[in-house]
Amino acid sequence: MKHLLLRLEPLIWLLFGLGILVGTMLLTGWLLVFAVAAPLGMLPAGALAFDRIHEFAANPIGRLLLLALIALPLWKGAHHLRTLSIDFGGVSRDPAVALLLYGIALLGSALGVLAVIRL
Amino acid sequence: MTRPAHPHAMQPSRAGRTRTAPPLLPDRFPFQGRYLAYTLFDLTGVVYLIMGFVVLRVVWALGDGPQAWQAARDSMASPLGIALHGIALVSVCFVGVRFFRLFPKAQPPRIGPVKPPPRPVIYAMLYLVWIGVIFGFMVIINGGFVG
Repeated sequence: MKHLLLRLEPLIWLLFGLGILVGTMLLTGWLLVFAVAAPLGMLPAGALAFDRIHEFAANPIGRLLLLALIALPLWKGAHHLRTLSIDFGGVSRDPAVALLLYGIALLGSALGVLAVIRL
Repeated sequence: MTRPAHPHAMQPSRAGRTRTAPPLLPDRFPFQGRYLAYTLFDLTGVVYLIMGFVVLRVVWALGDGPQAWQAARDSMASPLGIALHGIALVSVCFVGVRFFRLFPKAQPPRIGPVKPPPRPVIYAMLYLVWIGVIFGFMVIINGGFVG
């Protein structure tokens, strides 16, 4: 397992880096819309209506953005929690923790692909 | 011809006798002094994991039709949903500011034949792109690019 994790490290770091950089940027936009603008009534009427949102989400760029919004934060979260586990003295349990966290991120990413395909 | 080295290529055949002291956690770890920001930065991973699944649920609902979409919107407007999104907003801002401060320092001296731009330029580019992405979201939601 350790050997596999070492071999996958470049890929995991790529997804982690994209998660911090791109995921943070995209999530900020998402959160400002759904956590600030929508509850405070700053959006025009019907801005979040199903037809409008679906129209944008179902085009290729929309699907790609949504997939990035789902998958990249998952990989950022999984890798950061793994390092946190190691910092708290979990070197011996690291392979199991890594398997669990990356497995969750992988499952969420796969479901994300499915979610954008069925739009 | 070159090929990637085995990850354990330099590992000795058997473990040698180490003369280093066993690793110890610093006194102030994990929540005192500079370790507080470090630990909180890692802890944002929990928020990111949750938000990944929140967005997944919302996108899934969008694929299920208008009623599921409305139900997802209602759940986001509930007190729990608003609290979660509020914590997430603080977390992403914290991660963004901390990571963007680190990013220019982590650049190599050269990228191929060119040198990376000066640090202030990198800072400016990162924040411009961040603001641009937020602006893009607002434009889309307010009617740009759609219908």
